[in-house]
Amino acid sequence: MSKVALAQFQQVFVEESLEGLDTMESSLLALDDGGDAELVHTIFRAAHSIKGGAATFGFPEISSFTHEAESLLDEVRGGKRAIDGGIVGLLLRTVDCLRGMFARAQAGELLDDATAAVLRGELAAAMGRGAEAGAAPASARVDRAEAWTIRFRPHPGMLAGGNDPLRLIRELAGLGTLEVTAELDRLPALDRLDPSECHLGWTIALRGPASRADIAAVFDWVEGECDLAIEPVQAAAPAPAPAPPAPAPVADMAAARTQREAGGESTVRVAIGKIDGLINLVGELVITQSMLDTFRDGVDASRLALLEQGLAQLARHTRELQESVMGIRMLPIASVFNRFPRMVRDLSQKLGKQVRLELVGEHTELDKTVLEKIGDPLVHLVRNAIDHGLEPPAQRRAAGKGDTGTLRLEASHRGGSIVVEVSDDGAGLDRAAIVAKAVQRGLIAGGDGLDDEAVAELIFQPGFSTAAVTTDLSGRGVGMDVVRRNVADLGGTVTIRSTRGKGSVFTITLPLTLAIIDGLTAAVGEEHYIVPLVSIVESVQLGAEAIRTVAGGGELFRFRDEYLPLVRLHRAFGCPGAAQRIEDGLVIVVEGDGSRVGLFVDGLLGQQQAVVKSLEANYRRVQGISGATILADGSVALIVDIAGLVRLQGGRKAA
Amino acid sequence: MGRKQNAADKGGQAIQVALPADCRLAAQGALRAELLGALDAPATVLDGREVARVDTAALQLLTLFRREALARGGAVSWLGASGTLCEAAGVLGLAHALDLPASVPA
Repeated sequence: MSKVALAQFQQVFVEESLEGLDTMESSLLALDDGGDAELVHTIFRAAHSIKGGAATFGFPEISSFTHEAESLLDEVRGGKRAIDGGIVGLLLRTVDCLRGMFARAQAGELLDDATAAVLRGELAAAMGRGAEAGAAPASARVDRAEAWTIRFRPHPGMLAGGNDPLRLIRELAGLGTLEVTAELDRLPALDRLDPSECHLGWTIALRGPASRADIAAVFDWVEGECDLAIEPVQAAAPAPAPAPPAPAPVADMAAARTQREAGGESTVRVAIGKIDGLINLVGELVITQSMLDTFRDGVDASRLALLEQGLAQLARHTRELQESVMGIRMLPIASVFNRFPRMVRDLSQKLGKQVRLELVGEHTELDKTVLEKIGDPLVHLVRNAIDHGLEPPAQRRAAGKGDTGTLRLEASHRGGSIVVEVSDDGAGLDRAAIVAKAVQRGLIAGGDGLDDEAVAELIFQPGFSTAAVTTDLSGRGVGMDVVRRNVADLGGTVTIRSTRGKGSVFTITLPLTLAIIDGLTAAVGEEHYIVPLVSIVESVQLGAEAIRTVAGGGELFRFRDEYLPLVRLHRAFGCPGAAQRIEDGLVIVVEGDGSRVGLFVDGLLGQQQAVVKSLEANYRRVQGISGATILADGSVALIVDIAGLVRLQGGRKAA
Repeated sequence: MGRKQNAADKGGQAIQVALPADCRLAAQGALRAELLGALDAPATVLDGREVARVDTAALQLLTLFRREALARGGAVSWLGASGTLCEAAGVLGLAHALDLPASVPA
């Protein structure tokens, strides 16, 4: 078999194994909740497949490691051993470790790490054989050493989750002297950088008598959010441990990965039914087309009705085809929800709280791009709910509630949007604490006159955090503002409803797809702009007397009970020939990034669905513009990026 | 060619970018936009004297900016940097990549 062919099979094997690990994890969690014996068989089968495949495809480390877990499972399956929380916990960590090994396999790195060595020992110990009896790994575990090498590679989402490597490395400095080398090889281009993603990695040489546990404790909270290897530096061998003979397959995998990356392709799995539907529709289109083709030689009045019918069919099929093609990008939200049972279990154990997780509407489908980006905000909300929202059992009893708190994630379609709700029956927002904090931060002068909604809105302000006890989990001031911005980047909104003592509900509303938006077409001079419908609050006609000019040249107008900044689109985008006098045009009040502004345009032309074309891919990024679309007459209209425009406006004000 | 012309458009002058006092994640959107605008300038002067709070995201952004600006033939220098900024760059092993001044100008 050629190397490339083997690498392709390896890729399929890795994908299947990752699915197998997901199955193992969900079954283990179900088992922990008192599931039946069939689950043990499911887990065993998954482990067995991974072991067998790993041996076939040249991953002996994974194969031997999985063998340990499989042996333990075999004893449970055979009734020789009762399953308990300890074993479930151990097997869950085994699943995590295997995920890490597969990730390293894909990156072409060494498969075994310190965690794997530790787990091998623990698995063997659970089997009653003692660590030595286990398939002793070459790197026998060392728990204390005078010097350590720590390789720390955060996953991109770690910063958004509120964990800052800066803090971790500072904490590490408490254990000895550090020599920190930053790895910059994975940094993207500046214009592609999402500042909330971490692309740095570190190799840290730590000198000082520290134990492995001390070091691991520093990274305890980012477990699962980074790749971490902690290795002792042996005094006897000053040179770094010689790399074991690099297995050829790993190199193959790296080659395959490079190939894939060169292609830049990400893939999506599509149900065969969806493909069949598409083929059907294309068939219908062909029939309609051949029917319309008969009019090529001319149309006479007698066949006009037939022509109309044909055109109507064409319109219907085109719409259906568009919907079906969009449907291919739609995946069930279950893939995001699935990570929560494990997370909730770990967090509630850590915080000593009892939490029942309810997942509703897992089959709700949404766009793959949206799906990939909604994970982090949801993780943040779930963490917040467990950390701040739900109370410890004693406090719940005192409040007359059951010991176990309920955390509910619900996804559903509402109109043209997807709504994801994260609700808990915990303590709810503490109005007094929020007001006090906001006053302290200088956000407001006092809480009088603010309704509950306005107070709740304060938690979305940058740098806001009210945890009375700052836990490791939250209270670092990176919080709800990041959640709101991430959701806004997807064209969605976050709102909160909270009742003191009864709990809170966070509602995320997202567009079905990023590829099509509903918008209002506005005329500005000779140009047309599309304003996304979701951002529009109202449009009003103003007289010149309604405008106030403030120092610095900014303009404000009174809308209801507040003054809003006015953005003249023709000035912002430099359009000639536009209306200058305020009474000659319209002001569209829009909301983005949590604040409102008025957009001054010549007039509104109507509502339409716009197929979004990326401006960045076809031209370059333009501030205040999120994309372009082609209008019915073939001309190009730009889509206004409301959040970007609001930020631009804010920047000018601050300057 | 295009880039050089761009630089000429801007009058061939150095662009000065002042970093905000709270230079953490929430401020990165605006900072990134400003740095993107400065990429094609022949010289950029960063002013980090006001920085009181900083995080990994900010240092990553600055590192990336400096690397790209240098790769495009621009010069990047510091008007000054606060102790906080220098300390954080040191902790993250980025002091060299950022070419941060060792001493703290007043």
